[in-house]
Amino acid sequence: MALSDDVARVSPDLPLRANLSALDNIALIPIYQGHFNVTESNRQALQLLAQLGHDDIASLRDSDMTPAQRFTTKLARGLILHRPRLVIDRPGAMLYDVPYPLFIRRLAGQADMTGTWEIFDFSWNQPLYSE
Amino acid sequence: MNFLAASIESLGAKIVGWFTVAYGMFAFLARAGLLLLDPTTWNRATFDVVIKQVYFTAVQILHIFLAYAVVISWLIISIILSTARDFGLSEFASEMTIRTLVLELLPFLTALFIALRSGSAINTEVALMKVNNELDALAHCKVPPMQFEFLPRLVGGVISVITLSALAGLLALLVGYLAIYGVNTAGFEPYTRTIAKILDFQILAGLVVKCVLFGLAVTLIPVTAGLETPKKLFMVPVSVLRGMMRVFLAIVAIEVVSLALKYI
Repeated sequence: MALSDDVARVSPDLPLRANLSALDNIALIPIYQGHFNVTESNRQALQLLAQLGHDDIASLRDSDMTPAQRFTTKLARGLILHRPRLVIDRPGAMLYDVPYPLFIRRLAGQADMTGTWEIFDFSWNQPLYSE
Repeated sequence: MNFLAASIESLGAKIVGWFTVAYGMFAFLARAGLLLLDPTTWNRATFDVVIKQVYFTAVQILHIFLAYAVVISWLIISIILSTARDFGLSEFASEMTIRTLVLELLPFLTALFIALRSGSAINTEVALMKVNNELDALAHCKVPPMQFEFLPRLVGGVISVITLSALAGLLALLVGYLAIYGVNTAGFEPYTRTIAKILDFQILAGLVVKCVLFGLAVTLIPVTAGLETPKKLFMVPVSVLRGMMRVFLAIVAIEVVSLALKYI
């Protein structure tokens, strides 16, 4: 799915960098985009993880994370991009260990939301969102 | 007739394939060279990957590599000394040792050592990054893979080959001295004079250029081979196999050209 530059995607097709920790995966973005130094980028990344209630996963690598932890890291990576739209693509494919509409709603409540969040899911999962 | 046409077609396709691969590698190298000179490339994250690459390629294996260099040097020096004695050419033993070991064999073996250990790892990692869409994910986040993943590996590989070759060369000189003169200072003056006579500026510059080319061969070829991998997991071993064959051929070609330039 090709999307414009104002969209941050959280998708099963966009994995985390396997040899980096959750913190490094998120902190890379302020380093390359905002030209922040490593200390400041790590601080921003850790703050975001803490805001999402997952600062304990900062040192974990992709292979050591649960699906929910991996999703949270991807979400934090999407949020730190500071793009006006956040698209969550097929959440069921990433969050198969938790009741995901509730999980995403909870994360959305904790995150500092500045743009819009959109969820693209299969039509047969629609009843899950009304629960 | 059909067989002839098919053979020509197949040969043509192979030659076009080789040119395409070579063009891809040189284009990649040119882009890496331009980025190397761009000051914005050198942020802390890129610098950290260079340090990690040097650590994994050179520092982590240092003790094994140095032991291997000492054993190989000792064996070759013993063969050279005994052959030189048999033919009454003992006075040329130190010169032969330096020329054979320090200038040719040790840089070549260092490149092979790093190719087998780090080159194959780089090829596998880049191929897996390609197959798993990690490169697409980095691009989506506007983290340039060239600056963050590839250029630091090229720089780290070149630094590692140069430093390991230099260390192995120094060790070989020490082992050579001990084998020829024993544990005393009597041979220090003639030995250092021989070293200075052989290792003039031109030869040293040639050695550095050769090591840089070896360093590029063991990193650039695996990276480009990894990037050529189709997005199918079962193609990763094929990509590593192809990449390693190319690395081997490139290392041999560099050594042959270097020998031809020096001695023919």
